[in-house]
Amino acid sequence: MEFTREIYWNVGHNAGTLVPMYLFAFTAIGLLVRGFLKRIEIYKQGLPLIRTDQPARRLLHMLGNVLLQKKVARVRWPGLVHGFFFWGFVLLFIGTTLIVVQADFTDLFFDMKFLKGTFYLLFSITLDVAGLVCIFMLGGLLVRRYFFAPEGLETKKDDAIMHGLLLTILCTGFLIEGSRIAVTELGTPLSYWSPMGLLVAKGIAGMGEGGLRAMHKVLWWTHFSLVMSFFTLIPLTKFRHIFTTSTNYFFDDLGPKGKLVNLDLENEEAETFGVTNVKEMTWKDIFDADACTLCMRCQDRCPAFNTDKPLSPMKVVNQLGEVAFTNPEANLVDTFGKDVLWSCTTCRACQEICPAAIEHVKKIIDCRRAMVLMEGEFPGEEVMTAMEATEVNGNPLGIGYAERGDWAAELGIKPLAEDAEVDILYFVGCYGSFDKRNIAVAKSFVGLCQAAGVKVGILGKEEKCCGEPMRKMGNEYLYQTLAMENIEVINSYGVKKIVTTCPHCFNTLEKDYRDLGFAIEVEPYVVFLEKLIASGRLQIDARELSCTYHDSCYLGRHNDLYDAPRALIKAAGGKILEMDKNRAEAFCCSAGGGRILAEEKIGERINVKRVKMAAATGAENLISNCPFCLTMFEDGVKGAEVEDALRPKDIAEILAERVV
Amino acid sequence: MKILVCIKQVPDMESKFKVDDGGTWYAKTDLAWRMNEYDEYAVEQAVQLKEQVKDADLTVLCIGGDQVKETMKKALAMGCDRGAHVADGDSSGKEPYQIAGIIAEYAKDKNFDLIFTGMQSQDRGSGQVGLLVAEMLGLPGITTVVHFAYKDGVIEAKRELEGGVKACVNVAAPAVITCQLGLNTPRYPTLPNIMKAKKKELLSIPVDDLLKVESRQETARMYFPEKKGGGLVLEGDAAELADQLVKILKEKTAVLG
Repeated sequence: MEFTREIYWNVGHNAGTLVPMYLFAFTAIGLLVRGFLKRIEIYKQGLPLIRTDQPARRLLHMLGNVLLQKKVARVRWPGLVHGFFFWGFVLLFIGTTLIVVQADFTDLFFDMKFLKGTFYLLFSITLDVAGLVCIFMLGGLLVRRYFFAPEGLETKKDDAIMHGLLLTILCTGFLIEGSRIAVTELGTPLSYWSPMGLLVAKGIAGMGEGGLRAMHKVLWWTHFSLVMSFFTLIPLTKFRHIFTTSTNYFFDDLGPKGKLVNLDLENEEAETFGVTNVKEMTWKDIFDADACTLCMRCQDRCPAFNTDKPLSPMKVVNQLGEVAFTNPEANLVDTFGKDVLWSCTTCRACQEICPAAIEHVKKIIDCRRAMVLMEGEFPGEEVMTAMEATEVNGNPLGIGYAERGDWAAELGIKPLAEDAEVDILYFVGCYGSFDKRNIAVAKSFVGLCQAAGVKVGILGKEEKCCGEPMRKMGNEYLYQTLAMENIEVINSYGVKKIVTTCPHCFNTLEKDYRDLGFAIEVEPYVVFLEKLIASGRLQIDARELSCTYHDSCYLGRHNDLYDAPRALIKAAGGKILEMDKNRAEAFCCSAGGGRILAEEKIGERINVKRVKMAAATGAENLISNCPFCLTMFEDGVKGAEVEDALRPKDIAEILAERVV
Repeated sequence: MKILVCIKQVPDMESKFKVDDGGTWYAKTDLAWRMNEYDEYAVEQAVQLKEQVKDADLTVLCIGGDQVKETMKKALAMGCDRGAHVADGDSSGKEPYQIAGIIAEYAKDKNFDLIFTGMQSQDRGSGQVGLLVAEMLGLPGITTVVHFAYKDGVIEAKRELEGGVKACVNVAAPAVITCQLGLNTPRYPTLPNIMKAKKKELLSIPVDDLLKVESRQETARMYFPEKKGGGLVLEGDAAELADQLVKILKEKTAVLG
């Protein structure tokens, strides 16, 4: 006997079944398509944006994340449960499709059956197990959502529909299988290849063939109708994420990571700058809202949200969607709220974890641009003062520009204007140049270079703020002015390589300046120093060092540099007591996104919270790699009252203390 | 309504100042330039008045070399309609009476309803120009204004006096107003306004056409104050600090007899 089964058993493979079945199916699929076409009209309210270039790379990125559930599984348990459910669901979908293909296509037209023999056995057991896995995973997710919901998890009607519908479909599936097995397979070896179906069959076998057949027929049509309802519900409920979230990976920003779009400020036609209206966002920004599954991962990691500020990245994304669908004329800045928009530190924790490839930060900056460029508004007067100071003196601290290079004079470091024959141009940045605490870091870095025989030059009074805080605050005009001036000066000296100690400078020169025609190699000091040590040019005496390490947002999430700084600390003899939130999950110091210029007026202080995390490790030193972080931590140790126990330091300092 | 606002370009006060070779003014190397702080209040107030009365024409006037045009552009971006640049490569060599004379000569036949300026400049700080302009034009001059309201041709102003006391003044336009810190918060120019400012009228007038008065005073010498002592920061715990303090008081003063 060959292993197989009669497709359409009991319901009949005839016009009486097929005509209503296919009518129903085509209607459902038609409704599904219509639902999405309607949504596409909404996405198209946004501005054009090309996200279909490099299709092969995009497809690979999408498949990696959809099939392997890479990002979903970053949060282990719910992620794995979702992953297993996904795969069960995929297998059931493939299995059902195979049945349709054989019964109504290959067998019908070519007399060809493939669901037989060994393949049928594998098919049978695979689907049986897949169904069981789906029920367990869905049950698990249901219990989590309705009985052990993490704080803040929003549960809507959509969730009830999704859980209810899918569970009913899965259970009716097993009952249908069970009743079929009870009548046709009980006692045959074939039944063992459907263990779950067999179990059900044994349970209901007592109903007798007549009852079983009647129940089978009713359930078959119920099951089928529910599946068709599922199709029609996809565009109307959160089920839509099956399509939107997966395609959002295809439309993902391929990088450079986090780089903002340059505004064309020379465009005389432009009447507005930045975004206040959903029609000034791109279609992708609206699509993002449809890709969101409200999983809350962004919000859970947002430093603003977690210190009682009004910002939730998830809320911003969903409000944008709501506006696009219900009230496209609404003012987005008012919809989100100004305090919400100013609270973002652009730390990228939201985007890094988002399993739907949503771009949160860009939307916030777009709105900030409108506030600054169209209204001259800032989160506070102190920020406006810093902007004006930067216009006048090229630094937000307001110190006379001519003193910018004074710190380096005693080290014998000359500005390029006096000596342009150097190995590297050290782009010092404002804090390294003017802030007493960070001048110590700049000196340490220069000391390390000198110990390794690297000739360093600076721009001195010709250097200006890289423009990063201004740009992130929305002041694109000031950013571009500063950038153009810096680029012109740097280019005039024929510099070969630039090294930075500030990750904000690095990110800006390495990514943002490229859009303005800047072509010189830029390297962050951690990478530069690691190479010097590896090549033996720089010798470090490893001495005991009790420390924890803070990944700055702009070296970490924005540039994926997690190992080089750790290697340097190791070379210095440090054993890092990691904080719970480290690497891509690191908690921001509060000063990104131009917030270094602003007072933190709402909620708990982010820097104090981070310092407390560092203090909890019991380490004596809090090592970081960013002047903003260092500034915030020097302040934070006072706020957390751990001044005596915990010393904030920069990597350059601990290395300089141990140079041979 | 016709409004004039007079501004001056001054060095940023955070700059490192040196006395120039002539010994009568500061050297102009390594300085960052900006709008005189008090003139920013004047521009803001003038723009607010223009926005209030709607039908107004606002001229910004500045005396100096070509580099002052940058500062004038900021005033234009803040909302002034046109610029009158009095081209003078040696404006810092002119004393307040001459500066006032230039402004008065420019304004005398133009029937301005209101003239705003800062109560003093951050660099010379004479505080004379506004009042001298008023005097030369025969207009009432109200100085150190910290509150300004305008209704039906009447100005209601508050002047800051010593010790936190304020004087309330009502005066009919035309008049000259000099502005003090606290009057308003100058706006940050929006990008469309910065763009528009680039296209606004900015006419240069040679200073010789307007300078009709003789100087009355001369700067004899400019110098840094002589260093006489300085602050002393004591460090240590409270008991130690007390001892140190007593010691200093005994040695250097007579308070402990």
